[in-house]
Amino acid sequence: MLRNDIDSWGAPAKLFHWVMAALIFAQIALGLVAVSWHVSPTKLNLYVWHKSAGMLILALLALRLLWRLSGRVPALPAEMAAWERLGAHLSHFLLYALMIALPLTGWVISSASNVPFRIFWTIPLPAITAPDKATADLFASVHGWLVSLLALVLVAHVGAALRHHYVRRDAVLTRMLPWKTS
Amino acid sequence: MNNIASLAAGLLLALPAPLFAQGASWKMDPAGSRLEFTATFEKAPAPGVFKEFDTRLRFDPDKPAGGSLDVTIKVTSADMAIPDVNKEIRTKDWFDYSGFPQAEFHSTDLRRDGGRYVARGTLSLKGVKQAVEVPFAWTPTGEGATMEGELTLRRGVFGIGLGEWKATDVIGADVKVKFKVKLRKG
Repeated sequence: MLRNDIDSWGAPAKLFHWVMAALIFAQIALGLVAVSWHVSPTKLNLYVWHKSAGMLILALLALRLLWRLSGRVPALPAEMAAWERLGAHLSHFLLYALMIALPLTGWVISSASNVPFRIFWTIPLPAITAPDKATADLFASVHGWLVSLLALVLVAHVGAALRHHYVRRDAVLTRMLPWKTS
Repeated sequence: MNNIASLAAGLLLALPAPLFAQGASWKMDPAGSRLEFTATFEKAPAPGVFKEFDTRLRFDPDKPAGGSLDVTIKVTSADMAIPDVNKEIRTKDWFDYSGFPQAEFHSTDLRRDGGRYVARGTLSLKGVKQAVEVPFAWTPTGEGATMEGELTLRRGVFGIGLGEWKATDVIGADVKVKFKVKLRKG
Protein backbone atom coordinates (compact mmCIF):
# COMPACT_ATOMS: atom_id res chain seq x y z
CA MET A 1 0.00 0.00 0.00
CA LEU A 2 1.57 3.26 -1.12
CA ARG A 3 -0.85 6.04 -0.26
CA ASN A 4 -1.91 7.00 3.24
CA ASP A 5 -5.59 6.58 4.03
CA ILE A 6 -7.87 7.63 6.86
CA ASP A 7 -6.43 5.22 9.41
CA SER A 8 -3.06 4.04 8.07
CA TRP A 9 0.24 5.28 6.76
CA GLY A 10 1.45 4.03 3.36
CA ALA A 11 4.89 2.48 2.90
CA PRO A 12 6.57 5.68 1.56
CA ALA A 13 5.44 7.72 4.59
CA LYS A 14 6.75 5.03 6.95
CA LEU A 15 10.04 4.82 5.07
CA PHE A 16 10.51 8.61 5.22
CA HIS A 17 9.63 8.61 8.93
CA TRP A 18 12.04 5.88 10.04
CA VAL A 19 14.94 6.66 7.71
CA MET A 20 14.84 10.31 8.72
CA ALA A 21 14.42 9.42 12.39
CA ALA A 22 17.59 7.34 12.23
CA LEU A 23 19.44 10.06 10.29
CA ILE A 24 18.36 12.79 12.70
CA PHE A 25 19.48 10.91 15.82
CA ALA A 26 22.80 10.08 14.13
CA GLN A 27 23.07 13.69 13.01
CA ILE A 28 22.64 15.10 16.51
CA ALA A 29 25.30 12.73 17.83
CA LEU A 30 27.67 13.58 14.93
CA GLY A 31 27.23 17.31 15.51
CA LEU A 32 27.95 17.04 19.24
CA VAL A 33 31.03 14.87 18.66
CA ALA A 34 32.34 17.12 15.85
CA VAL A 35 32.03 20.28 17.95
CA SER A 36 33.84 18.80 20.94
CA TRP A 37 36.60 16.92 19.05
CA HIS A 38 40.09 18.51 19.15
CA VAL A 39 41.28 20.22 15.97
CA SER A 40 42.51 17.33 13.83
CA PRO A 41 41.82 15.56 10.52
CA THR A 42 39.20 13.49 12.37
CA LYS A 43 37.34 16.64 13.41
CA LEU A 44 37.31 17.91 9.81
CA ASN A 45 35.98 14.55 8.61
CA LEU A 46 33.28 14.56 11.30
CA TYR A 47 32.17 17.96 10.02
CA VAL A 48 32.04 16.70 6.44
CA TRP A 49 29.85 13.79 7.60
CA HIS A 50 27.65 16.13 9.64
CA LYS A 51 27.22 18.70 6.86
CA SER A 52 26.64 15.99 4.25
CA ALA A 53 24.04 14.27 6.41
CA GLY A 54 22.36 17.65 6.93
CA MET A 55 22.07 18.20 3.20
CA LEU A 56 20.77 14.64 2.77
CA ILE A 57 18.13 15.27 5.44
CA LEU A 58 17.11 18.53 3.75
CA ALA A 59 16.76 16.77 0.36
CA LEU A 60 14.77 13.89 1.89
CA LEU A 61 12.56 16.39 3.68
CA ALA A 62 11.72 18.16 0.41
CA LEU A 63 10.58 14.82 -1.08
CA ARG A 64 8.74 13.92 2.11
CA LEU A 65 6.82 17.21 2.15
CA LEU A 66 5.88 16.81 -1.52
CA TRP A 67 4.65 13.31 -0.75
CA ARG A 68 2.74 14.41 2.32
CA LEU A 69 1.11 17.40 0.63
CA SER A 70 0.09 15.28 -2.38
CA GLY A 71 -2.14 13.02 -0.24
CA ARG A 72 -3.99 12.85 3.04
CA VAL A 73 -2.73 11.91 6.49
CA PRO A 74 -4.46 9.43 8.82
CA ALA A 75 -6.94 10.99 11.22
CA LEU A 76 -6.19 11.40 14.91
CA PRO A 77 -8.28 9.21 17.24
CA ALA A 78 -11.70 10.76 17.79
CA GLU A 79 -11.42 10.57 21.58
CA MET A 80 -8.42 12.96 21.73
CA ALA A 81 -9.07 16.20 23.65
CA ALA A 82 -8.71 19.60 21.97
CA TRP A 83 -5.44 20.36 23.82
CA GLU A 84 -4.04 16.99 22.74
CA ARG A 85 -4.90 17.70 19.10
CA LEU A 86 -3.33 21.14 19.40
CA GLY A 87 -0.20 19.56 20.96
CA ALA A 88 -0.01 17.00 18.15
CA HIS A 89 -0.32 19.61 15.40
CA LEU A 90 2.08 22.02 17.09
CA SER A 91 4.77 19.40 17.72
CA HIS A 92 4.51 18.03 14.16
CA PHE A 93 4.69 21.55 12.76
CA LEU A 94 7.79 22.21 14.91
CA LEU A 95 9.42 18.97 13.77
CA TYR A 96 9.01 19.94 10.12
CA ALA A 97 10.09 23.54 10.77
CA LEU A 98 13.22 22.34 12.61
CA MET A 99 14.04 19.80 9.89
CA ILE A 100 14.19 22.80 7.53
CA ALA A 101 15.74 25.36 9.89
CA LEU A 102 18.57 23.18 11.18
CA PRO A 103 20.08 22.31 7.77
CA LEU A 104 19.54 25.90 6.58
CA THR A 105 21.26 27.49 9.57
CA GLY A 106 24.03 24.91 9.19
CA TRP A 107 24.37 25.89 5.55
CA VAL A 108 24.69 29.54 6.61
CA ILE A 109 27.42 28.66 9.14
CA SER A 110 29.29 26.70 6.49
CA SER A 111 28.98 29.53 3.94
CA ALA A 112 29.84 32.34 6.36
CA SER A 113 32.86 30.50 7.76
CA ASN A 114 34.09 30.06 4.17
CA VAL A 115 35.39 26.55 4.75
CA PRO A 116 35.59 24.66 1.45
CA PHE A 117 33.05 21.85 1.50
CA ARG A 118 31.82 19.16 -0.84
CA ILE A 119 28.81 17.02 0.05
CA PHE A 120 30.19 13.53 0.77
CA TRP A 121 33.52 14.79 -0.66
CA THR A 122 32.03 15.07 -4.17
CA ILE A 123 29.38 17.74 -4.82
CA PRO A 124 30.49 21.33 -4.06
CA LEU A 125 27.87 23.13 -1.97
CA PRO A 126 27.35 26.73 -3.13
CA ALA A 127 27.56 29.46 -0.49
CA ILE A 128 24.29 31.13 0.54
CA THR A 129 25.92 33.98 2.47
CA ALA A 130 29.11 36.00 2.10
CA PRO A 131 32.08 35.00 4.29
CA ASP A 132 31.70 36.78 7.62
CA LYS A 133 32.87 35.70 11.06
CA ALA A 134 30.10 37.50 12.95
CA THR A 135 27.41 35.83 10.82
CA ALA A 136 29.04 32.43 11.33
CA ASP A 137 29.17 32.92 15.11
CA LEU A 138 25.58 34.17 15.30
CA PHE A 139 24.18 31.28 13.28
CA ALA A 140 26.30 28.77 15.18
CA SER A 141 24.55 29.82 18.37
CA VAL A 142 21.13 29.83 16.66
CA HIS A 143 21.88 26.31 15.34
CA GLY A 144 22.72 25.24 18.89
CA TRP A 145 19.46 26.68 20.32
CA LEU A 146 17.43 25.07 17.56
CA VAL A 147 18.94 21.67 18.26
CA SER A 148 18.08 22.08 21.95
CA LEU A 149 14.50 22.86 20.92
CA LEU A 150 14.52 19.82 18.62
CA ALA A 151 15.62 17.63 21.54
CA LEU A 152 12.66 18.90 23.59
CA VAL A 153 10.18 18.33 20.76
CA LEU A 154 11.59 14.83 20.19
CA VAL A 155 11.06 13.98 23.85
CA ALA A 156 7.43 15.17 23.52
CA HIS A 157 7.00 13.28 20.22
CA VAL A 158 8.37 9.97 21.53
CA GLY A 159 6.61 10.45 24.88
CA ALA A 160 3.28 11.12 23.19
CA ALA A 161 3.68 8.08 20.92
CA LEU A 162 4.33 5.87 23.95
CA ARG A 163 1.37 7.44 25.78
CA HIS A 164 -0.87 6.67 22.81
CA HIS A 165 0.27 3.06 22.90
CA TYR A 166 0.49 2.26 26.60
CA VAL A 167 -1.99 4.66 28.20
CA ARG A 168 -4.57 5.38 25.53
CA ARG A 169 -4.10 2.00 23.86
CA ASP A 170 -4.91 3.45 20.44
CA ALA A 171 -3.26 2.74 17.07
CA VAL A 172 -1.30 5.99 16.68
CA LEU A 173 2.06 4.33 17.41
CA THR A 174 1.42 0.92 15.86
CA ARG A 175 0.16 2.30 12.55
CA MET A 176 3.56 3.93 12.00
CA LEU A 177 5.50 0.69 12.68
CA PRO A 178 7.16 -0.62 9.51
CA TRP A 179 6.01 -4.23 9.94
CA LYS A 180 2.32 -3.37 10.44
CA THR A 181 0.58 -3.37 7.09
CA SER A 182 -3.05 -2.92 8.12
CA MET B 1 104.21 32.85 -17.46
CA ASN B 2 102.24 29.84 -16.22
CA ASN B 3 102.34 31.26 -12.74
CA ILE B 4 100.99 34.60 -13.86
CA ALA B 5 98.16 32.91 -15.79
CA SER B 6 97.10 30.78 -12.84
CA LEU B 7 97.34 33.81 -10.55
CA ALA B 8 95.04 35.78 -12.89
CA ALA B 9 92.60 32.84 -13.08
CA GLY B 10 92.66 32.56 -9.32
CA LEU B 11 91.87 36.24 -8.90
CA LEU B 12 89.01 36.01 -11.35
CA LEU B 13 87.50 33.04 -9.56
CA ALA B 14 87.81 34.82 -6.25
CA LEU B 15 85.70 37.73 -7.45
CA PRO B 16 82.18 37.79 -6.09
CA ALA B 17 79.73 36.01 -8.36
CA PRO B 18 77.30 38.93 -8.90
CA LEU B 19 79.96 40.70 -10.94
CA PHE B 20 79.47 37.99 -13.56
CA ALA B 21 75.70 38.04 -13.40
CA GLN B 22 74.27 38.92 -16.74
CA GLY B 23 71.23 40.84 -17.83
CA ALA B 24 69.36 43.82 -16.53
CA SER B 25 68.34 43.95 -12.93
CA TRP B 26 64.65 44.02 -12.11
CA LYS B 27 62.70 45.02 -9.05
CA MET B 28 59.26 43.93 -8.03
CA ASP B 29 56.24 46.22 -7.94
CA PRO B 30 54.37 44.79 -4.92
CA ALA B 31 51.05 46.37 -5.93
CA GLY B 32 50.84 44.39 -9.16
CA SER B 33 52.30 41.14 -7.82
CA ARG B 34 50.67 38.12 -6.21
CA LEU B 35 51.93 34.91 -4.69
CA GLU B 36 49.12 32.43 -4.17
CA PHE B 37 48.96 28.87 -2.98
CA THR B 38 46.17 26.37 -3.13
CA ALA B 39 46.03 23.47 -0.74
CA THR B 40 43.22 20.96 -0.73
CA PHE B 41 40.84 20.59 2.20
CA GLU B 42 38.54 17.55 2.20
CA LYS B 43 39.07 17.26 -1.58
CA ALA B 44 38.01 20.87 -2.15
CA PRO B 45 40.49 23.62 -3.09
CA ALA B 46 41.61 25.79 -0.16
CA PRO B 47 43.25 28.95 -1.51
CA GLY B 48 45.70 31.17 0.31
CA VAL B 49 48.05 34.03 -0.40
CA PHE B 50 51.35 35.38 0.91
CA LYS B 51 50.62 39.07 1.17
CA GLU B 52 54.25 40.08 1.53
CA PHE B 53 57.10 38.87 -0.61
CA ASP B 54 59.84 40.36 -2.70
CA THR B 55 61.52 39.38 -5.94
CA ARG B 56 64.89 40.44 -7.29
CA LEU B 57 65.92 39.35 -10.71
CA ARG B 58 68.86 39.70 -13.06
CA PHE B 59 67.59 38.54 -16.34
CA ASP B 60 67.94 38.99 -20.07
CA PRO B 61 65.10 37.17 -21.84
CA ASP B 62 67.29 36.67 -24.90
CA LYS B 63 70.17 35.31 -22.87
CA PRO B 64 68.87 33.84 -19.63
CA ALA B 65 72.09 32.04 -18.69
CA GLY B 66 74.04 33.92 -16.07
CA GLY B 67 70.95 35.55 -14.59
CA SER B 68 69.71 35.11 -11.07
CA LEU B 69 66.40 35.03 -9.23
CA ASP B 70 66.00 35.73 -5.54
CA VAL B 71 62.64 35.62 -3.80
CA THR B 72 61.99 36.24 -0.12
CA ILE B 73 58.60 35.36 1.28
CA LYS B 74 57.25 36.59 4.57
CA VAL B 75 55.63 33.32 5.64
CA THR B 76 53.83 35.13 8.47
CA SER B 77 51.87 37.14 5.90
CA ALA B 78 50.00 34.00 4.82
CA ASP B 79 46.24 34.46 4.62
CA MET B 80 43.79 31.64 3.93
CA ALA B 81 40.69 33.81 4.48
CA ILE B 82 39.24 31.62 7.26
CA PRO B 83 39.92 32.95 10.78
CA ASP B 84 40.16 29.48 12.36
CA VAL B 85 42.51 28.28 9.65
CA ASN B 86 44.70 31.39 9.89
CA LYS B 87 45.02 30.71 13.61
CA GLU B 88 45.97 27.10 12.96
CA ILE B 89 48.61 27.62 10.22
CA ARG B 90 50.82 29.76 12.47
CA THR B 91 51.45 26.80 14.81
CA LYS B 92 54.46 24.47 14.87
CA ASP B 93 52.47 21.77 13.06
CA TRP B 94 52.11 24.02 10.01
CA PHE B 95 54.23 27.04 9.03
CA ASP B 96 55.64 27.64 12.54
CA TYR B 97 55.63 31.45 12.35
CA SER B 98 57.88 31.93 15.36
CA GLY B 99 60.51 29.42 14.23
CA PHE B 100 60.56 30.14 10.50
CA PRO B 101 59.05 33.52 9.66
CA GLN B 102 60.70 33.72 6.26
CA ALA B 103 61.10 31.48 3.22
CA GLU B 104 63.56 32.03 0.39
CA PHE B 105 64.18 30.86 -3.12
CA HIS B 106 67.53 31.43 -4.82
CA SER B 107 68.46 30.46 -8.33
CA THR B 108 71.50 31.18 -10.45
CA ASP B 109 70.47 28.71 -13.12
CA LEU B 110 67.98 30.31 -15.46
CA ARG B 111 67.37 28.79 -18.83
CA ARG B 112 64.99 28.76 -21.72
CA ASP B 113 62.42 25.97 -21.87
CA GLY B 114 60.52 26.13 -25.14
CA GLY B 115 58.71 29.45 -25.23
CA ARG B 116 59.10 29.76 -21.47
CA TYR B 117 61.86 29.80 -18.90
CA VAL B 118 62.78 27.79 -15.90
CA ALA B 119 64.74 28.81 -12.81
CA ARG B 120 66.42 25.93 -11.01
CA GLY B 121 67.31 26.71 -7.47
CA THR B 122 66.87 26.05 -3.80
CA LEU B 123 63.76 26.73 -1.78
CA SER B 124 64.28 27.16 1.96
CA LEU B 125 61.01 26.74 3.79
CA LYS B 126 60.47 25.86 7.44
CA GLY B 127 64.15 25.06 7.78
CA VAL B 128 64.22 22.60 4.88
CA LYS B 129 66.28 23.27 1.76
CA GLN B 130 64.99 21.60 -1.33
CA ALA B 131 65.91 21.79 -5.04
CA VAL B 132 62.97 23.27 -6.91
CA GLU B 133 62.31 24.18 -10.51
CA VAL B 134 60.26 27.29 -11.05
CA PRO B 135 58.87 27.55 -14.59
CA PHE B 136 57.74 30.98 -15.74
CA ALA B 137 56.45 32.90 -18.71
CA TRP B 138 57.95 36.30 -19.44
CA THR B 139 55.82 39.10 -20.86
CA PRO B 140 57.38 42.48 -21.59
CA THR B 141 54.99 45.32 -20.83
CA GLY B 142 55.22 49.03 -21.63
CA GLU B 143 57.34 50.05 -18.69
CA GLY B 144 58.57 46.68 -17.44
CA ALA B 145 57.68 43.02 -17.58
CA THR B 146 55.66 40.39 -15.79
CA MET B 147 56.72 36.88 -14.90
CA GLU B 148 54.03 34.33 -14.26
CA GLY B 149 54.02 30.66 -13.49
CA GLU B 150 52.92 27.86 -11.28
CA LEU B 151 54.44 24.82 -9.71
CA THR B 152 53.38 22.09 -7.34
CA LEU B 153 55.12 21.41 -4.04
CA ARG B 154 54.62 18.53 -1.65
CA ARG B 155 53.97 19.92 1.81
CA GLY B 156 55.35 16.83 3.54
CA VAL B 157 58.88 17.48 2.22
CA PHE B 158 58.95 20.73 4.20
CA GLY B 159 57.34 19.32 7.34
CA ILE B 160 54.19 21.38 6.79
CA GLY B 161 51.51 19.44 8.57
CA LEU B 162 53.03 17.36 11.37
CA GLY B 163 51.62 14.68 13.65
CA GLU B 164 48.09 13.70 12.69
CA TRP B 165 48.23 16.21 9.83
CA LYS B 166 50.86 14.13 7.99
CA ALA B 167 47.96 12.07 6.68
CA THR B 168 47.05 13.37 3.25
CA ASP B 169 43.42 12.24 2.95
CA VAL B 170 42.02 15.33 4.65
CA ILE B 171 44.61 17.96 3.78
CA GLY B 172 46.11 16.87 0.45
CA ALA B 173 49.82 16.27 -0.12
CA ASP B 174 50.17 18.65 -3.06
CA VAL B 175 50.08 22.42 -2.82
CA LYS B 176 49.88 24.41 -6.01
CA VAL B 177 51.87 27.65 -5.98
CA LYS B 178 50.97 30.36 -8.45
CA PHE B 179 52.72 33.66 -8.95
CA LYS B 180 52.41 36.78 -11.01
CA VAL B 181 55.20 39.26 -10.51
CA LYS B 182 55.24 42.74 -11.96
CA LEU B 183 58.77 43.96 -12.54
CA ARG B 184 60.46 47.28 -13.24
CA LYS B 185 63.98 47.81 -14.38
CA GLY B 186 66.15 49.18 -11.65
